[in-house]
This record gives sequence, C-alpha cells and structure tokens, in this order.
Amino acid sequence: MPSLATRPERQTDYRRFSPAIPIIIDNGGFNFRIGWAGESDPRITFRNLVYRPRHKATGETVTIVGDHDPVLLKYFDCTRSSYRSAFDSNVVYQFEIMEYVLDYGFDRLGVEDSPVDHPILMTECICNPISSRSKMAELLFETYGVPSLAFGVDAAFAYKFNQQHGICSEDGLAICSGFATSHVIPFVEGEPVLEACCRTNVGGYHVTDYLKQLLSLNYPYHISSITWEKAEELKLEHCYVAYDYAAELQLFQKGTKEAEEKTRCWQLPWIPPSQEDAPSEEELARKAALKEKQGQRLRDIAAAKKFTRISELEHKLHGLEDLVQQLDEVEDEEMYSILSVTDYNSKQEIESAVHRVTQSLRKARGEPCESEEKVDASLSEKYPLISIPDDMLTPEQLKEKKKQIFLKTTSEGRLRAKQKKFKEELLREKQNQEDEEKRLENPELYLEQTRVKYRELCERVDQRKRLKTNGNGNSSGGVGRGERLNSVQKERMRLLTTAAFDRGKGEDTFGARDEDWQLYKLMSRDNDDDDDSLDEDETELSRVTTRLQEIDPEFVAKSDLAALQGTLEFTRLRPLTAEDFKINLGIERFRCPEILFQPSMVGVDQAGLDEMTGVSLRRLSSKDDAVKNRMCNSIIVLGGSSLFPGLDSRLEAGIRQIRPYLSPLKVVRSLNPVLDAWRGAAAYATSMQFSTQTFSIQDYYEKGESGLKQYQIKYSL
Amino acid sequence: MEPEVVNSEMLLPQNFSFKKVQMGDKYPKGHARGRHWKHLKQILQAENFQSYPTDEPNYLNIETPPSMYPSKKFCDITGFEAPYMDPRTNLRYANPEVFKRVRMLPNEHIQRYLSLRNAAVILR
Repeated sequence: MPSLATRPERQTDYRRFSPAIPIIIDNGGFNFRIGWAGESDPRITFRNLVYRPRHKATGETVTIVGDHDPVLLKYFDCTRSSYRSAFDSNVVYQFEIMEYVLDYGFDRLGVEDSPVDHPILMTECICNPISSRSKMAELLFETYGVPSLAFGVDAAFAYKFNQQHGICSEDGLAICSGFATSHVIPFVEGEPVLEACCRTNVGGYHVTDYLKQLLSLNYPYHISSITWEKAEELKLEHCYVAYDYAAELQLFQKGTKEAEEKTRCWQLPWIPPSQEDAPSEEELARKAALKEKQGQRLRDIAAAKKFTRISELEHKLHGLEDLVQQLDEVEDEEMYSILSVTDYNSKQEIESAVHRVTQSLRKARGEPCESEEKVDASLSEKYPLISIPDDMLTPEQLKEKKKQIFLKTTSEGRLRAKQKKFKEELLREKQNQEDEEKRLENPELYLEQTRVKYRELCERVDQRKRLKTNGNGNSSGGVGRGERLNSVQKERMRLLTTAAFDRGKGEDTFGARDEDWQLYKLMSRDNDDDDDSLDEDETELSRVTTRLQEIDPEFVAKSDLAALQGTLEFTRLRPLTAEDFKINLGIERFRCPEILFQPSMVGVDQAGLDEMTGVSLRRLSSKDDAVKNRMCNSIIVLGGSSLFPGLDSRLEAGIRQIRPYLSPLKVVRSLNPVLDAWRGAAAYATSMQFSTQTFSIQDYYEKGESGLKQYQIKYSL
Repeated sequence: MEPEVVNSEMLLPQNFSFKKVQMGDKYPKGHARGRHWKHLKQILQAENFQSYPTDEPNYLNIETPPSMYPSKKFCDITGFEAPYMDPRTNLRYANPEVFKRVRMLPNEHIQRYLSLRNAAVILR
C-alpha cells in the first residue's frame, strides 16, 4: 500500500544517548513515529503497516514493515496476503503485527543490545481498553526489556505543545480528526476532561475510502487505476471542506461557471491509437492479384468436382437405361433372374431410379428443375393405393398403402408450412408497407409512436422475464447454485418430492381415480408456461427494433444499452479518446470530507465534528458558563484529517450555531496538525518530573493489569 | 535472495539482538496456534463495561450519540440533495435523469452504492 519508496536509514548514534533519555513513540493509525525525547523531530517515520508476502525463489514468508519500493515486489508472491495493520479502529488488537512494527522501529533507531534500556513514552487512544493497554505493556516489558513506560493521549500532547507555544490557553477544546476516528477533548486547567470527551468513528481512512468507492463506481472501466494510494493522494491534493455544503451543491447542480472552475481533472495515461498508413497502390494490386489467384483455384476445384459428378451420373444413367432396355427385351421369368443380380426389385423401381438420376444430372448441369409441377401432377400416380378401399387389397399392398399415406401426409404438411411462412412474410411486408406509408405522412409523429411502442414492448418482455426468474437479476435465465427457482419450477419440485416420499405411507390408492394421472402431466418438464403471447411480443419487438434501426439515427437497442453500462463493450463501440481517460473530480472534492461533519452520509449514526463540540460542552455540566466561554475562545484543530482547506472556518460557523449569541469563539489550526503529537510528547518527556509519571517494570510485576487500569499520567508537569 | 532486495533492507530480519524473546520462539513455525487475538468488538465485550461505574469514562461511553438533527438525504449517484427514492432499488436520486441511470444500473453497482451508506441488504 505505501507508495513512498524511501526507506529510513538506520540511525548510528544510539550509543550517544544515556539510558535516562526516553524514547518517544507516536503509535498512530496511519504513521508510526519514533525518536528521542528533547529532539524537535522524530528520527523515523513510516506507515504503520505490515506486509507478509512469500518470496518467489525460496518460498519463504517474509515480513516487510512500512514503506517500500513497489518495483521490488516483483520478487514476491503477493496474491495470498495483503497489508495488515495492528489497529481495529483506533485500538491496537493484533500484537504480533505490533511486534513486527516495533522491531522495525527500534532497529531503525539503531538499538543494538538487549534490553532496550530507555524509558518509553507511547501514545494510545483515549480510554484505551485495558486489555489492549496491558498487552502492549506486556510486549514492551517482556520482549524488549524496557525499564519503564508511559502511556498518553496523542491529542493531549499536541494540545500541550500548542499551549506552550501560545496558540491555545489552559482551558480549551481540542478537535482532533485522525485516521480512524475523530475526537473532541475539553481541557480544563491544562488537563483533559475524559468524562466530557467524545468520539465519532469517522476519520481520514473513511474519507479516502469514500473517494475511492465513488470514483470507481463512476468510472468502472478505470477501476484498476483507482487504487487506495491514488485516492489518498487525490484527497490530500484536491479535497476541501465546503463552508456551506448545501450552497456548494447548488452551485454544482446548476452547472455554473464557478463550479466548472472548481472541477479538477485527472488525466490517465492514454496513447492515441496509431494511424495506420493507407496501403500503397502496389500493395493493393498485389493483394488483389493474390485474392484473384486464390479465387481461381477454388473455382477450378469446384469445376473439376462438378465434372466428375456429371460423368458419374451419366455413367449411372447409361447403366440403368441399358438395364431397362434389357428388361424390355426379355420375358417375365428371365426378368427376375436379371433383377436378382441388381439392387432393384421391380421395373417400376428402376424407372423411378432413372427419374431420380436424370433429376440430379439436370441439377448438376445447372438446368432448371421441373419437379414441382410434376409432383403435383403425379400425386395421384405416386399414391395409387390410397383411393382404393382396404378390403380390395392384399396384405402386402395394405402395408404399402400405409407407407403411402404416411408419405402423403408429411409432404402435405411440408407444403402447408411453406404456405404459412409465405403468408407471414406477406403479412410482415404489408405491415412494413403500412408503416412506411404512415411514416411518409408524418415522419416525426411516426417516429415518436414507434419509440413509444418499442418502450412498451421492452417493458412487457422484461416484466415477463422478470416474473419468470422471480425478480432476481439473473439475466442468463438459468438457475444457478443458490438462486431461487421461479414459482412454476418450485411447484414442480414440490410435486416430485411429495411423489417420491409419500408413497408407502398407509394405503396406496394412487391411480384409483382418473385425476391422479394428471399429476404426471404437471410434473413433466414441458409444463413450463411458454405461452404464445410472449413469443408474439418478442417477434413484434424484434420487428420494431429493426424498423427503428432503419429510420432512427439516434436509436440504440436496449440490449446494447445494457452492455454500455459500465463495461468495456461500450468503449469498443467507438474509438477511444483522451476524454474517456479523464477522471473528473467535481463534487467529490468536498463531498468526501463532508462525512466528517455528516457521518450519516456513510451510514455512521453519530454526530459530526461541529455537533460533537456541543455534546462535549453539555457533558461538562459541572463547569459554569464562564469556563465554557473561555474554552470556546481556545478551540484548536488537530490531526491529519484537519488538513483540509476550509475546515476551520466551517467548524467555526457550525459551532457558532450551537453557542449562545455573541459568546466568544475562536477556532485555530495547530502549528503542525500531523507532527504536534510527537513533538508534544518529546517535550513532555524532557521534564524532570517525567520519571514520576512512568509505570516501571517493578510496578508491572507487582500490580499487573489492575495497576495499569488505574495508571493515568498528568499532562501538566 | 536477490541482491537488490538485500540491499534495499526491506525485509525484516528474523532475529534482533535487542529482543529478549525472538519472534521465532514466541510464534514457532508450523505450529497451529489458532487465533490469538480478538477483534475490537470482542475486546469491548470482554471488558465488561456494564459493571463499571457509569460516571467513569470508558471506550464505549465516550462515543458520540446520534445527531439531534434529521440526517439529510443525498442522491447516491450525483451527491446532490435527493427528494426522491426509487422503491425498487432503494437508491435515492436527485432528478429524472438520474432516475434513468438508476434503472439501468447493474445489480452489483446498486448494492455497492447502497453499501456506501451502510444500507445494503446482506443475505446470509
């Protein structure tokens, strides 16, 4: 996840620091910072993340902490693991990961020998659950051999730091928006009032995630470009807090020029498709010649094939004619002996064979065929037995008659189907013609009517389909695993199961009544309600669709539209332009940070930053109004998510609404919202009284968890 | 290991001289140790905050209560104020043009839009 490729150098001056100098750790949800008390900046800062991929060559699982060069990841199999954080919300819960992070932090700080012989001051969240705090203490005491440690709240250290620099006063409010959560902490006489602070579980992570989700839903075909890191980068660069959210929305909804100016564009890398040079004359000629040559070859083959077939047929015809002649010349008795050598049984058969061969010969030679009329004419000849009553026929002839009847009905059926098709064609032609006339009368009206009709039909067909699939959005129509059957299929399954399991219970009377047998009809698969009206609608729909495609240049069929929605198919319809690779950040620029003020936008049912201030002040019921006024005159904004431009003025406007008329109010930004917590802690640990605030390893062994539970540092020394 | 990887010092070594217990001893390789951590929800449950005095601050009772104002309704797709809601998809929309888009959205996108504001129906 981390994109910063710079790895912190290992510090070499560890030995210069005496064991009395504390190590300061700001264990934040986003960044981990470690350094020495009394210094102005942390020595090492890295993303508080652990990554455990498998090394491709050796198959070992390796551990990578913090930022790294993404290029080097090619040596690792990253498919089975992802970035892991020790935090759930703002509480540390996975201490194995925490240990990796601490290992790395101490290693980079240059710690060499066991144990880590320095007091440690570490930040934690407000009201950290005791099990989390004691596990952290256990880790530091037992694994690293730390002599003593202190836990404090990051926002409190930041507040104290700003107080020392005269930004805020003794009584005040800290509004701290971090990575996973946002807090409001009141300070009275320089100490945080924990009873009165409040936490909303929305922070910078949620803003970035919201931005990422919105962009990837808006630009589904660029989903691979919209990574978490990119969203984070865009957030830092472009997001701002609107002073009046509703007004800002209106601005964008009306599409004013101001809104246009506020829109930012992110152009994805795009290479214009290379213009292919038109092929030269020579090339064209060469290609044409090649094509011609191939065509000639195919034609030659076809001609040769035709020739062999014709000669074959002629040969056969000659043979048959000879046979007929031979038969004509001889007596009946000899005829059978001649016939027994051939495949034929009678003279008629041979004659019909002759007829067939001449037909196909004609066809092969490409002469017109005269079979149709001939069939009609010879209908009575072809089926001579049909008109003769049964009792006048021998058994063989009866058999023959049956065959003839069958042949006759099938050929008639074929003829009927042909006629029907012809009629339909005619009907359609007629409809089209009528349509055309209507169109010529009033083209616009006609177009509108056709569109309406198309829409209606679409709706109807869709509805029918939906009913059939029981409304689940399963476009393939098949019933997949875990999908529900439609009502008809369900009924069928019910019948089958009852039929399978109910038999044998008591007396089996199945079949006694005639209705029983209806069951099988219901069970059969053909029982699906393929009613004809659906088919009618569908054919009509296809007709209207083709019609619209002919006359309406703007028409896009619905099936195409469905494909158009958020799939790559859409981009294939036309050549891609740079416009398609542009990601616009308009409303998103202030929509995403807005969740800090309206957490309900992302489904978090808690009050936003401005209202939290009111909640916090209400919880300070014991303090009088003079104190509250003093506090509101010293509101300071902290944390990484307070970096959005416009956040302080918006907060001021929001808090003014909940404060009494004309009461003092001042909202200021801290010196450095990101680093103040570490700096404050580093300054705090230099105090002479710091050692009185620590929890030593002896305390840990004597008092254990209950000692840690009561442990609470004083911030003003 | 490739020299590039070694030179970058990106991999965390197995052992550190400053540790009393090494990672490998604590979590031996190939040993199934099950899940040895709890999610925040489980941690909070185990804390048993109900038994604590109510005026004492703890992780749960410092949470901000819900807003006193009714939450504003915004269009799920454009982000504008949304006077309407589509009863079929439950998405909120700002105007008829957006409604057309809503109706053409694939089911997966509808669910993703809904889950953005934690309103998606999750069937188990």
